[in-house]
Amino acid sequence: MAEPGDRARDEFLSEAQEIVETFSRNLLSLDASVREGAADPALVNESFRAVHTLKGLAGLFGAQRLATVSHRLEDLLDDLRLGRAPLGLETLDVLFSAIDAYGRLLAAEREGKDDPIPAVDDLLSRLDRLGGQVAPKATPVSDYELDPGLLGVLTEYEEHRLRTNLELKLRLYRLRVQFDLSTIDKALEDMKSRAKKHGEIITYLPTGEASSPDTIELDLLMASRDDLATLIGSLGAENIVIEEIPRRRTTGIPSVAAPRTPLRPPGTDRPSDSVPPPRAIEPTGDGPSLRSLTQTVRVDIRKLDYLMNVVGELAIVKSALGRLTERLRAEGQRQLVAELQRSHRSFDRRLAELQAGILEVRMVPLGQVFERLARVVRQISREMRKEIRLVITGAETEIDKLIVEELSDPLMHMIRNAIDHGIETAHRRAEVGKPAAGTIALNAYQKGNHVMIEVEDDGRGIDEQAVLQKAIAMGRVPKDGAHELSREELLGLIFLPGVSTRDQADDVSGRGVGMDIVKTNIGRLGGIIDVQSETGIGTKVTITLPITLAIVSALMVRVAGNVFAIPLASVSEALWLDEAGTERLDSREVITLRGATLPICRLERLLELERAPSDPGPRRPYVVVVALGNRRLGLVVDHLFGQQDIVIKPLGRALASVRGFAGATELGDQRVGLVLDASAIVDEVLEGSEAVRGIRRMAIG
Amino acid sequence: MAELVRAPAGRLARRGGRGPVREFLTFLLGDDVFGVDLARIKEILSLPPITLVPRAAQFIVGICSVRGLLVSVMDLRLRLGLEARPRTRRARILLVTTDPGEVVGLLVDEVRHVVRLSEDELELSPALGGDVSEHVLGVGRPRGEFIVLLDLAAVVEG
Repeated sequence: MAEPGDRARDEFLSEAQEIVETFSRNLLSLDASVREGAADPALVNESFRAVHTLKGLAGLFGAQRLATVSHRLEDLLDDLRLGRAPLGLETLDVLFSAIDAYGRLLAAEREGKDDPIPAVDDLLSRLDRLGGQVAPKATPVSDYELDPGLLGVLTEYEEHRLRTNLELKLRLYRLRVQFDLSTIDKALEDMKSRAKKHGEIITYLPTGEASSPDTIELDLLMASRDDLATLIGSLGAENIVIEEIPRRRTTGIPSVAAPRTPLRPPGTDRPSDSVPPPRAIEPTGDGPSLRSLTQTVRVDIRKLDYLMNVVGELAIVKSALGRLTERLRAEGQRQLVAELQRSHRSFDRRLAELQAGILEVRMVPLGQVFERLARVVRQISREMRKEIRLVITGAETEIDKLIVEELSDPLMHMIRNAIDHGIETAHRRAEVGKPAAGTIALNAYQKGNHVMIEVEDDGRGIDEQAVLQKAIAMGRVPKDGAHELSREELLGLIFLPGVSTRDQADDVSGRGVGMDIVKTNIGRLGGIIDVQSETGIGTKVTITLPITLAIVSALMVRVAGNVFAIPLASVSEALWLDEAGTERLDSREVITLRGATLPICRLERLLELERAPSDPGPRRPYVVVVALGNRRLGLVVDHLFGQQDIVIKPLGRALASVRGFAGATELGDQRVGLVLDASAIVDEVLEGSEAVRGIRRMAIG
Repeated sequence: MAELVRAPAGRLARRGGRGPVREFLTFLLGDDVFGVDLARIKEILSLPPITLVPRAAQFIVGICSVRGLLVSVMDLRLRLGLEARPRTRRARILLVTTDPGEVVGLLVDEVRHVVRLSEDELELSPALGGDVSEHVLGVGRPRGEFIVLLDLAAVVEG
């Protein structure tokens, strides 16, 4: 087991990861707000806070480089939030590159490596260059003759915000609010978010008075462009008193401290030489809050796998109990049997609930990976000078954590392809009457036991003739057979190794990643990938994924005494095999199914299974039709014996090179059955240019 | 189904030499005595039902489940290039942990006991002929016996 030190370190790394993700989310929102013309100061401040916390953590764990990078970033963000440096798209570029640098730093930290990381050096030198832009420090806020009691407790950032708001000629309000001590964290967050549409809460202080021991009274200092009536209408409640703070006539500078209602707590009569009073809660202050606002725990997914295994074992215990009950029944113990059966049923139900509960914990929203993609889109579009509008729907769709982890690379490649090869240059778009900004839509939704993810662009579409030429040049398609291929079949060619979607003539980036790799990765997750494209209108790539890898419904089959599971996700139907109806076409056996030709594959032969001498083989075998995208193959098996929900476990390293199996599963009687990898078998049987001809035949139906 | 690896004290071979002591679990393949580092042995199993894996290497017996854990089982004879022999009642599976934290089963003819060997009873990396040598750590020579000590890492991960 891990040493306590290792565990603390793991905790540190995953917490750091989360902070970087938050930072990244803030940057994306910030990017949007900058593009709309006004950077949201709260987001800049939150980014500062994130990096500040990261610096502290890194220092604590002796992660020197992480600390250095965070320190430098913190300086920049501090300048930005205090208005000492301008925040533009170039600065954002640097900040976004920090996310990438952090990713590499954390990976290096995790592996205990300290090789030089170019991305980090690059970031540091870009930060150096930015340093030159820092504006001179602004005049201190004391020029404004603000109440010294308030000044004593304002942080530099709050001063800056106050000054900025006053320069914008906003009004100042004092909100005196009674909070319930037990719910203050949440109530205050609510208050802040509701106030946001009217202006900004600059600071808050406890008044030191309270109507009961369970409540606390805070004065919130708020700047807003709205008038008092609007604020009362929007924020007013029983526990809130809102007053406008009048301006001082002579200087036009507001007196924050209204008579008889000092903002500073009582007992600090001489604030200038006293320490600033402690505050009840301090989410915008400079020290990390000790109390967490959320009620979540981080769990290593391996622990969930372990729990899932325990559930599997309980299921085995359950069937053993069932067998015992049957024996009791045979012995005539009616009363006992009835009671046992009741307990058995209830155990069964609870077990199913437990299993569902664990599965639910494994589920995470796809938004996690979409956020990373949004960053990629921004980066690539800046690199390629193509303006891209990313539209995301269904980010809340949930899927197994393990799948999400594996999805980000394939999706990133698809998006890169879409921007690189799909979206035209602004000039070209103008010529064909499309809006200057290209749109990439990332849609996710649940469909039965599957999650669908679509990556759609409004670019030029795939040039299927270019794809075909490439495929012919690669020897993937026979030259004379090419004219027979339909458009769908031609599009399917992009998934063959070495064939690219890029148009050779104007390929400048050369960064497109083969769709065959994307397809392999998706296939490994039990998913299917399909492409649709219209010339001049756009391309849509659809991925169909199982919701979880932990449990799949499978069709259980027997071949020559061996039990195999075929995931139902890839099964389209099963039928009797009519031996008289089989024909040979080229080197392959085929049958005709509803007028279409279907290649079939005898698993017994493919897997070279040995039939026991006593086993004459089935009188009438079955054909299980597996469909993957537009490719279909019939697998010939001896018997079908029903559908079962199975937990797929990976085969060990000793078996890693064995093709055709996705893993193994327990069958409940201490035995293990292999799970067929339908996609690998289809690939193997219908390989290469053969595959193309296979597609063509099937497409006739 | 599982037996703990704990030989009775009397069956532990007596210390004959000097220096630090290492413990090895000994077992038979045919008439020869082999030994592996005891610390790497997780458990010893009687044969559970084993599922054949088509297309796997010849020395892979198949896979089995040990209380929910999926284990690949290797026939140690075939792995070492020795001749195949029919399994007997005494055949056992040694569960060993490999470096990436995986558990692999090794099918052996018969498990004997744990021996403690001092340094002067150990002869590391001797020259042995045949296919076995690449999997051998050395030989142990406690009192008139000859034990081939296997390099588990090479056997399991090689």
